[in-house]
Amino acid sequence: MSKQAVIERRRAARIESERAERARASRTKRLWRLGAAAAAAAVLAAGAVAVSSNGGAKPAPPATTSSLLAGIPENHGVLGDPKAPLTLTEYVDLQCPICARAAQSTLPALIRDDVRSGKVKLQVRTLSFLGADSVRAARVAAGAERQGRLWAFLEAFYARQGTENSGYVTDGFLRDVSKAAGVDAGQAIGQADSAFASGRLERADADATRMNVQGTPTLTVKRGNGPERVLTTSPLDAAAVQAELDREAAR
Amino acid sequence: MRAAAIGVALAGLGIATYLTVVHYAGGEPVCAVAHGCATVQQSDYASLAGVPVALLGVLGYLGVLAALARDGEAWRTAAAFVSLAGLAFSGWLTYVEVGILDAICIWCVGSAICMALLTVLTVARMLRAEPGGAVSAS
Repeated sequence: MSKQAVIERRRAARIESERAERARASRTKRLWRLGAAAAAAAVLAAGAVAVSSNGGAKPAPPATTSSLLAGIPENHGVLGDPKAPLTLTEYVDLQCPICARAAQSTLPALIRDDVRSGKVKLQVRTLSFLGADSVRAARVAAGAERQGRLWAFLEAFYARQGTENSGYVTDGFLRDVSKAAGVDAGQAIGQADSAFASGRLERADADATRMNVQGTPTLTVKRGNGPERVLTTSPLDAAAVQAELDREAAR
Repeated sequence: MRAAAIGVALAGLGIATYLTVVHYAGGEPVCAVAHGCATVQQSDYASLAGVPVALLGVLGYLGVLAALARDGEAWRTAAAFVSLAGLAFSGWLTYVEVGILDAICIWCVGSAICMALLTVLTVARMLRAEPGGAVSAS
Protein backbone atom coordinates (compact mmCIF):
# COMPACT_ATOMS: atom_id res chain seq x y z
CA MET A 1 0.00 0.00 0.00
CA SER A 2 1.39 3.34 -1.03
CA LYS A 3 2.05 6.10 1.45
CA GLN A 4 -0.66 8.19 -0.24
CA ALA A 5 -3.24 5.44 0.23
CA VAL A 6 -2.38 5.14 3.93
CA ILE A 7 -2.83 8.88 4.38
CA GLU A 8 -6.19 8.72 2.57
CA ARG A 9 -7.38 5.82 4.76
CA ARG A 10 -6.39 7.62 7.94
CA ARG A 11 -8.15 10.75 6.73
CA ALA A 12 -11.33 8.84 5.92
CA ALA A 13 -11.22 7.13 9.34
CA ARG A 14 -10.83 10.48 11.06
CA ILE A 15 -13.75 11.97 9.12
CA GLU A 16 -15.88 8.95 9.98
CA SER A 17 -14.90 9.18 13.63
CA GLU A 18 -15.74 12.88 13.72
CA ARG A 19 -19.09 12.21 12.03
CA ALA A 20 -19.92 9.50 14.56
CA GLU A 21 -18.92 11.81 17.40
CA ARG A 22 -21.17 14.57 16.04
CA ALA A 23 -24.04 12.11 15.67
CA ARG A 24 -23.51 10.87 19.23
CA ALA A 25 -23.40 14.43 20.57
CA SER A 26 -26.52 15.31 18.61
CA ARG A 27 -28.38 12.26 19.93
CA THR A 28 -27.39 13.09 23.49
CA LYS A 29 -28.51 16.67 23.03
CA ARG A 30 -31.87 15.56 21.63
CA LEU A 31 -32.40 13.19 24.54
CA TRP A 32 -31.69 16.00 26.98
CA ARG A 33 -34.13 18.20 25.09
CA LEU A 34 -36.76 15.48 25.21
CA GLY A 35 -36.17 15.00 28.92
CA ALA A 36 -36.54 18.73 29.51
CA ALA A 37 -39.69 18.86 27.37
CA ALA A 38 -41.17 15.87 29.22
CA ALA A 39 -40.35 17.43 32.60
CA ALA A 40 -41.87 20.77 31.58
CA ALA A 41 -44.93 18.98 30.19
CA ALA A 42 -45.27 17.03 33.45
CA VAL A 43 -45.10 20.24 35.49
CA LEU A 44 -47.67 21.92 33.23
CA ALA A 45 -50.01 18.93 33.35
CA ALA A 46 -49.60 18.58 37.13
CA GLY A 47 -50.61 22.23 37.54
CA ALA A 48 -53.66 21.68 35.33
CA VAL A 49 -54.60 18.54 37.25
CA ALA A 50 -54.25 20.39 40.56
CA VAL A 51 -56.59 23.16 39.35
CA SER A 52 -58.99 20.62 37.84
CA SER A 53 -59.22 18.40 40.91
CA ASN A 54 -59.59 21.44 43.14
CA GLY A 55 -62.48 22.64 40.98
CA GLY A 56 -64.21 19.32 41.43
CA ALA A 57 -63.82 19.35 45.19
CA LYS A 58 -66.56 20.48 47.50
CA PRO A 59 -66.53 21.77 51.07
CA ALA A 60 -66.28 18.89 53.49
CA PRO A 61 -69.80 17.82 54.45
CA PRO A 62 -70.78 15.32 57.12
CA ALA A 63 -69.30 12.00 56.15
CA THR A 64 -72.48 9.95 56.36
CA THR A 65 -76.18 10.39 56.85
CA SER A 66 -77.54 10.13 60.35
CA SER A 67 -79.05 7.00 61.86
CA LEU A 68 -82.43 8.75 61.98
CA LEU A 69 -83.76 6.78 59.03
CA ALA A 70 -82.16 3.46 59.90
CA GLY A 71 -84.63 0.60 59.82
CA ILE A 72 -87.60 2.66 58.63
CA PRO A 73 -89.10 1.25 55.42
CA GLU A 74 -89.35 3.43 52.33
CA ASN A 75 -91.70 2.40 49.54
CA HIS A 76 -92.04 4.50 46.40
CA GLY A 77 -90.72 7.53 48.28
CA VAL A 78 -93.11 7.07 51.23
CA LEU A 79 -91.25 6.78 54.51
CA GLY A 80 -92.79 4.67 57.25
CA ASP A 81 -95.43 2.01 57.65
CA PRO A 82 -97.65 2.05 54.54
CA LYS A 83 -100.63 1.37 56.86
CA ALA A 84 -99.92 4.37 59.11
CA PRO A 85 -103.21 6.25 59.64
CA LEU A 86 -101.81 9.71 58.96
CA THR A 87 -99.98 10.81 55.81
CA LEU A 88 -97.86 13.90 56.18
CA THR A 89 -96.82 15.40 52.85
CA GLU A 90 -94.04 17.92 52.65
CA TYR A 91 -93.86 20.27 49.66
CA VAL A 92 -90.28 21.37 49.22
CA ASP A 93 -87.77 22.80 46.83
CA LEU A 94 -84.39 21.24 47.50
CA GLN A 95 -82.72 24.62 47.08
CA CYS A 96 -84.97 26.29 49.63
CA PRO A 97 -82.99 27.09 52.80
CA ILE A 98 -86.08 27.04 55.04
CA CYS A 99 -86.83 23.53 53.78
CA ALA A 100 -83.34 22.55 54.94
CA ARG A 101 -84.02 24.14 58.31
CA ALA A 102 -87.35 22.33 58.63
CA ALA A 103 -85.66 19.08 57.70
CA GLN A 104 -83.21 19.62 60.50
CA SER A 105 -85.53 21.08 63.15
CA THR A 106 -88.96 19.53 62.66
CA LEU A 107 -88.61 16.28 60.75
CA PRO A 108 -86.20 14.46 63.09
CA ALA A 109 -88.65 14.51 66.01
CA LEU A 110 -91.53 13.53 63.75
CA ILE A 111 -89.60 10.66 62.26
CA ARG A 112 -88.31 9.48 65.62
CA ASP A 113 -91.64 9.72 67.46
CA ASP A 114 -94.43 9.35 64.91
CA VAL A 115 -93.04 7.69 61.79
CA ARG A 116 -91.01 5.08 63.59
CA SER A 117 -94.01 4.21 65.78
CA GLY A 118 -96.22 3.68 62.73
CA LYS A 119 -98.55 6.59 63.46
CA VAL A 120 -97.48 8.76 60.52
CA LYS A 121 -96.04 8.08 57.11
CA LEU A 122 -94.11 10.80 55.33
CA GLN A 123 -94.09 11.66 51.67
CA VAL A 124 -92.55 14.54 49.81
CA ARG A 125 -93.30 16.52 46.69
CA THR A 126 -90.12 18.01 45.28
CA LEU A 127 -91.04 21.22 43.50
CA SER A 128 -88.55 22.98 41.28
CA PHE A 129 -89.66 26.58 40.94
CA LEU A 130 -86.50 28.23 42.26
CA GLY A 131 -84.35 27.53 39.22
CA ALA A 132 -82.35 25.09 37.14
CA ASP A 133 -80.51 23.71 40.16
CA SER A 134 -83.89 22.80 41.69
CA VAL A 135 -84.93 20.94 38.57
CA ARG A 136 -81.71 18.97 38.42
CA ALA A 137 -81.88 18.19 42.14
CA ALA A 138 -85.51 17.07 41.95
CA ARG A 139 -84.82 14.85 38.95
CA VAL A 140 -81.88 13.09 40.58
CA ALA A 141 -83.93 12.78 43.79
CA ALA A 142 -86.41 10.83 41.68
CA GLY A 143 -83.54 8.54 40.72
CA ALA A 144 -82.75 8.07 44.42
CA GLU A 145 -86.42 7.25 45.05
CA ARG A 146 -86.18 4.39 42.57
CA GLN A 147 -83.44 2.95 44.76
CA GLY A 148 -85.56 3.33 47.91
CA ARG A 149 -83.19 6.02 49.23
CA LEU A 150 -85.15 9.23 48.64
CA TRP A 151 -85.22 10.37 52.27
CA ALA A 152 -81.55 9.61 52.81
CA PHE A 153 -80.84 11.60 49.63
CA LEU A 154 -82.90 14.56 50.87
CA GLU A 155 -81.15 14.51 54.22
CA ALA A 156 -77.70 14.42 52.61
CA PHE A 157 -78.69 17.12 50.10
CA TYR A 158 -79.90 19.54 52.78
CA ALA A 159 -76.71 18.95 54.78
CA ARG A 160 -74.73 20.18 51.77
CA GLN A 161 -77.16 22.74 50.39
CA GLY A 162 -75.37 25.60 48.61
CA THR A 163 -76.24 29.13 47.58
CA GLU A 164 -79.50 29.29 45.67
CA ASN A 165 -79.08 29.12 41.88
CA SER A 166 -75.30 29.42 42.07
CA GLY A 167 -74.98 26.40 39.80
CA TYR A 168 -73.76 24.24 42.64
CA VAL A 169 -75.98 21.28 41.76
CA THR A 170 -73.39 19.73 39.47
CA ASP A 171 -72.88 16.06 38.83
CA GLY A 172 -69.92 16.18 41.20
CA PHE A 173 -72.15 17.62 43.95
CA LEU A 174 -74.90 15.09 43.25
CA ARG A 175 -72.38 12.26 43.37
CA ASP A 176 -71.19 13.52 46.70
CA VAL A 177 -74.75 13.65 48.05
CA SER A 178 -75.52 10.24 46.58
CA LYS A 179 -72.44 8.71 48.13
CA ALA A 180 -73.36 10.02 51.57
CA ALA A 181 -76.93 8.77 51.13
CA GLY A 182 -75.94 5.30 49.98
CA VAL A 183 -77.40 5.97 46.55
CA ASP A 184 -75.86 4.64 43.33
CA ALA A 185 -74.96 8.00 41.82
CA GLY A 186 -74.46 6.73 38.29
CA GLN A 187 -77.94 5.23 38.22
CA ALA A 188 -79.65 8.16 39.90
CA ILE A 189 -78.04 10.74 37.63
CA GLY A 190 -78.64 8.50 34.64
CA GLN A 191 -82.35 8.48 35.43
CA ALA A 192 -82.57 12.24 35.78
CA ASP A 193 -83.94 12.60 32.27
CA SER A 194 -86.21 9.58 32.46
CA ALA A 195 -89.97 9.62 32.07
CA PHE A 196 -90.20 8.53 35.71
CA ALA A 197 -88.34 11.65 36.89
CA SER A 198 -90.47 13.88 34.65
CA GLY A 199 -93.54 12.22 36.08
CA ARG A 200 -92.42 12.95 39.64
CA LEU A 201 -91.93 16.63 38.85
CA GLU A 202 -95.28 16.84 37.12
CA ARG A 203 -97.01 15.11 40.02
CA ALA A 204 -95.41 17.51 42.51
CA ASP A 205 -96.55 20.53 40.49
CA ALA A 206 -100.06 19.15 40.05
CA ASP A 207 -100.44 18.33 43.76
CA ALA A 208 -99.07 21.73 44.79
CA THR A 209 -101.56 23.44 42.47
CA ARG A 210 -104.40 21.30 43.79
CA MET A 211 -103.47 22.13 47.38
CA ASN A 212 -102.85 25.79 46.55
CA VAL A 213 -99.35 25.61 47.98
CA GLN A 214 -98.04 29.15 48.23
CA GLY A 215 -94.46 28.49 49.30
CA THR A 216 -92.02 25.94 50.60
CA PRO A 217 -91.92 24.18 52.88
CA THR A 218 -95.62 23.46 53.19
CA LEU A 219 -96.95 20.53 55.18
CA THR A 220 -100.24 18.82 54.56
CA VAL A 221 -101.89 16.01 56.45
CA LYS A 222 -104.40 13.37 55.46
CA ARG A 223 -106.10 10.75 57.59
CA GLY A 224 -106.64 7.46 55.77
CA ASN A 225 -108.22 8.21 52.43
CA GLY A 226 -109.73 11.44 53.71
CA PRO A 227 -109.13 14.87 52.29
CA GLU A 228 -105.68 16.40 52.39
CA ARG A 229 -105.40 19.72 54.21
CA VAL A 230 -102.60 22.21 54.73
CA LEU A 231 -101.26 22.42 58.28
CA THR A 232 -101.89 25.77 59.85
CA THR A 233 -98.76 25.77 62.01
CA SER A 234 -95.25 26.78 60.95
CA PRO A 235 -93.25 23.89 59.51
CA LEU A 236 -90.32 25.14 61.60
CA ASP A 237 -92.20 24.70 64.89
CA ALA A 238 -91.75 21.03 65.68
CA ALA A 239 -93.92 21.06 68.80
CA ALA A 240 -96.81 22.83 67.05
CA VAL A 241 -96.68 20.45 64.09
CA GLN A 242 -96.68 17.50 66.44
CA ALA A 243 -99.65 18.92 68.34
CA GLU A 244 -101.60 19.45 65.14
CA LEU A 245 -100.89 15.89 64.04
CA ASP A 246 -102.04 14.62 67.43
CA ARG A 247 -105.30 16.54 67.05
CA GLU A 248 -105.77 15.13 63.58
CA ALA A 249 -105.17 11.60 64.84
CA ALA A 250 -107.67 12.09 67.65
CA ARG A 251 -110.46 13.39 65.44
CA MET B 1 -44.02 10.90 9.94
CA ARG B 2 -44.78 14.60 9.80
CA ALA B 3 -47.74 14.01 7.47
CA ALA B 4 -49.09 11.30 9.80
CA ALA B 5 -48.75 13.63 12.79
CA ILE B 6 -50.60 16.41 10.94
CA GLY B 7 -53.39 13.95 10.07
CA VAL B 8 -53.76 12.82 13.67
CA ALA B 9 -53.65 16.41 14.95
CA LEU B 10 -56.39 17.40 12.49
CA ALA B 11 -58.56 14.50 13.70
CA GLY B 12 -58.02 15.58 17.31
CA LEU B 13 -58.74 19.18 16.39
CA GLY B 14 -62.03 18.10 14.83
CA ILE B 15 -63.09 16.28 18.00
CA ALA B 16 -62.05 19.12 20.30
CA THR B 17 -63.79 21.68 18.10
CA TYR B 18 -67.01 19.66 18.14
CA LEU B 19 -66.93 19.38 21.94
CA THR B 20 -66.20 23.10 22.27
CA VAL B 21 -69.13 24.00 20.02
CA VAL B 22 -71.42 21.68 22.01
CA HIS B 23 -70.18 23.21 25.27
CA TYR B 24 -70.95 26.78 24.22
CA ALA B 25 -74.21 25.82 22.52
CA GLY B 26 -75.36 24.28 25.82
CA GLY B 27 -76.26 20.98 24.18
CA GLU B 28 -75.17 17.42 24.72
CA PRO B 29 -72.65 15.57 22.54
CA VAL B 30 -73.96 12.80 20.33
CA CYS B 31 -72.95 9.69 22.24
CA ALA B 32 -73.52 6.67 20.05
CA VAL B 33 -71.30 4.05 21.69
CA ALA B 34 -70.93 4.88 25.37
CA HIS B 35 -73.57 6.99 27.11
CA GLY B 36 -71.67 9.20 29.50
CA CYS B 37 -70.97 12.18 27.25
CA ALA B 38 -73.48 14.51 28.89
CA THR B 39 -72.36 13.46 32.37
CA VAL B 40 -68.73 14.20 31.53
CA GLN B 41 -69.53 17.38 29.62
CA GLN B 42 -71.62 18.81 32.46
CA SER B 43 -69.30 17.78 35.28
CA ASP B 44 -67.06 20.09 37.29
CA TYR B 45 -64.10 18.62 35.48
CA ALA B 46 -65.26 19.86 32.07
CA SER B 47 -63.73 23.28 32.78
CA LEU B 48 -60.33 24.32 34.02
CA ALA B 49 -60.41 27.63 35.88
CA GLY B 50 -63.51 28.55 33.88
CA VAL B 51 -62.06 27.53 30.51
CA PRO B 52 -63.71 24.48 28.90
CA VAL B 53 -61.19 21.64 28.62
CA ALA B 54 -62.46 21.09 25.08
CA LEU B 55 -61.27 24.60 24.21
CA LEU B 56 -57.90 23.80 25.79
CA GLY B 57 -57.83 20.76 23.51
CA VAL B 58 -58.45 22.97 20.47
CA LEU B 59 -55.58 25.24 21.51
CA GLY B 60 -53.34 22.23 22.14
CA TYR B 61 -53.97 20.69 18.72
CA LEU B 62 -53.51 24.08 17.03
CA GLY B 63 -50.23 24.44 18.91
CA VAL B 64 -49.03 21.05 17.68
CA LEU B 65 -50.10 21.87 14.10
CA ALA B 66 -48.29 25.20 14.25
CA ALA B 67 -45.13 23.45 15.45
CA LEU B 68 -45.47 20.76 12.78
CA ALA B 69 -45.81 23.41 10.08
CA ARG B 70 -42.21 24.46 10.66
CA ASP B 71 -38.98 22.51 10.70
CA GLY B 72 -35.97 22.79 12.94
CA GLU B 73 -35.01 21.30 16.25
CA ALA B 74 -36.82 23.91 18.35
CA TRP B 75 -40.13 23.33 16.55
CA ARG B 76 -39.83 19.56 16.77
CA THR B 77 -39.19 19.91 20.49
CA ALA B 78 -42.17 22.25 20.80
CA ALA B 79 -44.46 19.74 19.06
CA ALA B 80 -43.26 16.97 21.36
CA PHE B 81 -43.67 19.21 24.42
CA VAL B 82 -47.27 20.17 23.64
CA SER B 83 -48.13 16.55 22.81
CA LEU B 84 -46.59 15.27 26.04
CA ALA B 85 -48.45 17.86 28.13
CA GLY B 86 -51.68 17.06 26.26
CA LEU B 87 -51.18 13.34 26.79
CA ALA B 88 -50.56 13.79 30.52
CA PHE B 89 -53.71 15.91 30.93
CA SER B 90 -55.73 13.52 28.75
CA GLY B 91 -54.58 10.72 31.02
CA TRP B 92 -55.89 12.61 34.04
CA LEU B 93 -59.23 13.29 32.34
CA THR B 94 -59.58 9.63 31.39
CA TYR B 95 -58.96 8.70 35.02
CA VAL B 96 -61.65 11.22 36.06
CA GLU B 97 -64.13 9.61 33.66
CA VAL B 98 -63.47 6.06 34.81
CA GLY B 99 -62.54 6.55 38.46
CA ILE B 100 -64.62 9.52 39.57
CA LEU B 101 -67.52 10.21 37.23
CA ASP B 102 -68.13 6.59 36.32
CA ALA B 103 -69.04 7.77 32.83
CA ILE B 104 -67.23 7.41 29.52
CA CYS B 105 -67.33 10.12 26.86
CA ILE B 106 -66.40 8.46 23.61
CA TRP B 107 -65.29 11.79 22.11
CA CYS B 108 -62.91 12.35 25.01
CA VAL B 109 -61.52 8.84 24.60
CA GLY B 110 -61.03 9.57 20.89
CA SER B 111 -59.16 12.75 21.69
CA ALA B 112 -56.99 10.94 24.24
CA ILE B 113 -56.09 8.33 21.60
CA CYS B 114 -55.23 11.10 19.12
CA MET B 115 -53.02 12.75 21.71
CA ALA B 116 -51.27 9.43 22.49
CA LEU B 117 -50.58 8.82 18.79
CA LEU B 118 -49.44 12.38 18.36
CA THR B 119 -47.01 12.01 21.25
CA VAL B 120 -45.49 8.85 19.74
CA LEU B 121 -45.14 10.52 16.34
CA THR B 122 -43.75 13.86 17.52
CA VAL B 123 -41.29 12.27 19.97
CA ALA B 124 -40.09 9.80 17.32
CA ARG B 125 -39.76 12.65 14.81
CA MET B 126 -37.74 14.63 17.30
CA LEU B 127 -35.40 11.74 18.13
CA ARG B 128 -34.92 10.58 14.54
CA ALA B 129 -34.10 13.97 13.09
CA GLU B 130 -30.71 14.16 11.35
CA PRO B 131 -28.26 16.68 12.77
CA GLY B 132 -28.91 19.91 10.95
CA GLY B 133 -32.68 19.60 10.76
CA ALA B 134 -33.79 17.05 8.15
CA VAL B 135 -35.87 14.10 9.36
CA SER B 136 -34.73 10.71 8.15
CA ALA B 137 -37.10 8.84 5.90
CA SER B 138 -39.67 6.48 7.46
